[in-house]
Amino acid sequence: MGAAAALLLLLLSATQATAAAAAPTGELTVALSSFATEVLDPALGGHGVKFYLALMFDYLIGVTPDGRLSPELGIATAWEASPDHRRWTFTLRRDVRFHNGDALTSADVKFSILRAIGPRSTTGYAGVLRALLDRIETPAPDRVVIVTREPTLVIPPYLSRALATEGMILPKRYIESVGDDEFARKPIGSGPYRFVEQVTGSHVRLAAVPHHWRIGTPRYQTVTFRVIPEESTRMAMVRRAEVDLADVSRDRVREMEQAGFPVRYRDNDALLHLWWILPWDQTPVRDRRVREALNLAIDRREIAATIFGGKAEPAAVPFGLTWAFRDVKLTVPDEWRYPFDPARARALLAEAGYRDGFPITIFAYQLPALPEGREMAEAIAGYWQKIGVRPTLVPVDYPAFRKQWVDRTAPGAIGYYNLPNRDWIGTYTLLDKFAHTPSRPTDTVADREVDRMLDAILTATDRPKINALMRQAFARLRREHAGIPLVYLHTPYVTSKRIAAWDPGSVMLDLNIDGLVAER
Amino acid sequence: MPSSTPESAWRRSSLFRRMPVIPVGIITGFVLLALAAGLVSPADPYAQSLRARLAPPVWAADGSWAHPLGTDRLGRDLLSRIIFGARVSLTAGVATVLLAGLVGAAVGLLAGYYRGRIGRVLMRLTDATLALPIILLALVLAVTAGPSFVNVVIAIGAILWARYARVVYGEVLALMERDFIAQARLTGCSDRRIILVHLLPNTLPSLLVLLSLQIGYVIIVEASLSFLGAGIPPPTPAWGSMIAEGRDYIASAWWVSFFPGLAILLVVLAFNLVGDWLRDELDPKLHHL
Amino acid sequence: MLRLLLARLSQSAVTLLLFSVVVFGLARATGDPLTLVLPMVATEEDVANARRYLGLDRPFYVQYLTFVGRATTGDFGTSIRSRRPVVDLLRERLPNSLALAAFSMAVSLLVAFPLGVLAAVRRGTALDSGAKVLATLGQSLPTFWVGIVLIEVVAGRLQWLPAGGSGSLAHYVLPGFTLGWFVVAGLMRLLRSAMLEVLDAEYVTTARAKGAPEVSVVWRHALRNALIPVVTFAGVYFAILVTSAIVVETVFAWPGMGRLAYEAITGRDFPVIQAVVLVTAAIVVTVNFAVDLLYAVIDPRIGLAP
Repeated sequence: MGAAAALLLLLLSATQATAAAAAPTGELTVALSSFATEVLDPALGGHGVKFYLALMFDYLIGVTPDGRLSPELGIATAWEASPDHRRWTFTLRRDVRFHNGDALTSADVKFSILRAIGPRSTTGYAGVLRALLDRIETPAPDRVVIVTREPTLVIPPYLSRALATEGMILPKRYIESVGDDEFARKPIGSGPYRFVEQVTGSHVRLAAVPHHWRIGTPRYQTVTFRVIPEESTRMAMVRRAEVDLADVSRDRVREMEQAGFPVRYRDNDALLHLWWILPWDQTPVRDRRVREALNLAIDRREIAATIFGGKAEPAAVPFGLTWAFRDVKLTVPDEWRYPFDPARARALLAEAGYRDGFPITIFAYQLPALPEGREMAEAIAGYWQKIGVRPTLVPVDYPAFRKQWVDRTAPGAIGYYNLPNRDWIGTYTLLDKFAHTPSRPTDTVADREVDRMLDAILTATDRPKINALMRQAFARLRREHAGIPLVYLHTPYVTSKRIAAWDPGSVMLDLNIDGLVAER
Repeated sequence: MPSSTPESAWRRSSLFRRMPVIPVGIITGFVLLALAAGLVSPADPYAQSLRARLAPPVWAADGSWAHPLGTDRLGRDLLSRIIFGARVSLTAGVATVLLAGLVGAAVGLLAGYYRGRIGRVLMRLTDATLALPIILLALVLAVTAGPSFVNVVIAIGAILWARYARVVYGEVLALMERDFIAQARLTGCSDRRIILVHLLPNTLPSLLVLLSLQIGYVIIVEASLSFLGAGIPPPTPAWGSMIAEGRDYIASAWWVSFFPGLAILLVVLAFNLVGDWLRDELDPKLHHL
Repeated sequence: MLRLLLARLSQSAVTLLLFSVVVFGLARATGDPLTLVLPMVATEEDVANARRYLGLDRPFYVQYLTFVGRATTGDFGTSIRSRRPVVDLLRERLPNSLALAAFSMAVSLLVAFPLGVLAAVRRGTALDSGAKVLATLGQSLPTFWVGIVLIEVVAGRLQWLPAGGSGSLAHYVLPGFTLGWFVVAGLMRLLRSAMLEVLDAEYVTTARAKGAPEVSVVWRHALRNALIPVVTFAGVYFAILVTSAIVVETVFAWPGMGRLAYEAITGRDFPVIQAVVLVTAAIVVTVNFAVDLLYAVIDPRIGLAP
């Protein structure tokens, strides 16, 4: 009797022990200086909401932290194209359930994709899908076939975690029963963490599901994303161990490192790129020599070393996003790099007929992840003053600048953005947006050659051909000095002392929180 | 006070003896600095030099006399920017307060004298204006028309006048009960004459007190607006925006925020103390200011 | 009396209505919210869709009338940034602002009280001047500066208190102190001069002549009467605290109305801008009204101002 009791006790304690070891505990807190928007419905978000929604939802196609498509990390365990590249067949993972218990099937995949390109959607990337998509077939609960109007290679990357939210799989039955508005308030997904609460302007809180195929048993019981705009406040919270992961400005990295807090970088996280507002025909920058001169007059190394605290690299190619270079096999030749040569800049200006310089407007504004925006604009103005150009700084905020840019009310004026780095498909959509035909309001280049190349890429079905076209496009942009690629920015993130290791990854706007919460 | 008696003569003479010397001295000093900025400043406040950014003041390890108080994040000399900043910040303060005072006094006088429909409408307008938060309005203006010196003055002045209007209105109401006003009316003085010659001079003391107290307030509000991105824009040196720019460097380059902050502290404290003293001198009953 | 009350009430309503037009126009003058809501790569079709979905493509006056019509039923529309009903946002944030304002008020009263009484009782001495300077210090430094220094030192280095956000009583201390610090000077000055006036008054000298002990004179007679203007102006200051909390809330990441307003303006979130400014104005107008009422009740000689 006593022995049986003892055995029972032993068994009980054994199961207790394993249960305790497996259960998620504690809270992971991520503090950021801003959230792009704070919506919980992927169709209303866009690439800006990936970092927290990616924990709540699964993607059709997953990616590894360094940006490669992976059948292990998405709902699709395999995918293949028909020989004419117009039918894409996806085989789905079995036994995946939403947080309310519903099973995830091909019906949900079809529903989610159609919803993402529907009229209510403001994800920002739906345009290409709308143009390409003919229909979606669901021959079996674990098989989806996407049929396109033109042959194309873009479907898998488009529906992956590398791009935006179009690939997130949503619960059809739940949304159809409670409606879009209720879903936006209380979202349900199939990801490793489920939604608990949101206070706009303050935080989003998620709670772990007991076990998930993507990460195993989650390490933390809750994950909270907080928005703390003021840097001093954020850093004080890191010091007090209230926050485990926070973005930090480049100027304060040394202070935090000296206090013993590990700082990790997303290298080449963004390209800080400047351009002249179109149309150029009545402005000095219509002359290629002037554009080259303005590029040569800037000391990129000095800016990288001082304003960006050494956490930046000089850039040479307009829209040259390096993660795309890797995909299309482009190595930047040395001749493409811009030396700092104010003398030659002045000579070029004189040659072009502007020996006495000319006035130019520079819009100065901050951007999320670019607190140094205004400082940089002032610095550029300083360099250009030294070669005889007469810059006027116009401080605005980004929306005000964008209006002038899109309405084309300030031809020849300078604007800029920190373009998040991304793979080739992301770069293609970017080029489509900013370098494609004057009829698009956000065009910055107005170059027919580039237009032709971009048109060819969308319907090319041969990877080597696509790569070659992209390389040619970059070469042309560089040769024409189509903009001012300034520096690649490394974004520092400071972590609390209890975070042992973390790879921030190189997926656009995704912090690889998976890596922090995955089972050891 | 219009009447002249031996008592008030005594008061006026000892006024100077009881004047708070230090605050008045500080104000005078900064005003002189602002006027002579070009002569006194060691360097060009706009000259940037990235390699010399965030250099410490002269007494620190890497400091030098080239930049006695150090440099800011673009390598501009801090001392020069503070001296020129005196010009900008003081002008902003005085301009806003004068503008608002002019409008406010006019409204208060008219409302108090004419009463009736005009008075009620003007006071409704005043109350409505008082209910608008200054900082929100300034933000909206900055976001709509872009931040600028003029926009800051307009944004603050557009709401500040209401405070003066209320005070002047109260004063005028009290004054209207007095005998000399009734006398002036009986003797056939025109409305304009009564307002300008009899009412206005009697409201000046409280107006003066309020104005001197508010100059400091305007300088502080400009700083808060710069913090929110709606203040006097770079590269113009203004104390408020200098503090706002330097706030992320408190731990690493404390001087960038500290010295402009010290300047604001001294000047605003001085104005406040002078205003307090003026009020105590003129009429301790003005406690509602 | 009742007639005057109703008259004032209707006047306040008219004020608010006029206000709503101005606010509506101002909000829309700030620009286009869609540039911020949609990613840079959004197509024109996406933009047009969003505009239609949010009702921003209808004519100005239609939008205004819809706004007013809905506002009377408590529906302030949907936030463009977060796609949630504005009322929900207000419900989340307003109590936080009020709570912080109340805490700050308490802090400033606690500080201003002894300072003001001391300065009045020891008028003209170094103590008086010292108290005046100390109080004035509060109005001589920008609020965000005080807040950030406190965060760096008290929260970051000494780690005595939390740096930001809300949650526990400890979270109130730093922002409450920063916000209240500005108001201390005004309160102290008020208390001091109110007390001075009363200390000179006849019934106090009478009490003294009757041989009442000094302490009793100060505490029972002077203080009680000096409290009247302070109490009535505490209301005005409360309104100031609520409306000027924007800076403190931004520095301390306090989820209140001030920060909501800031995010809405920089995000061009029209419905939220309108709602916040209206609610703020309503608070101030209400407090003004209550203060006037209190004044009239306490001192019937004054009556309601015209």
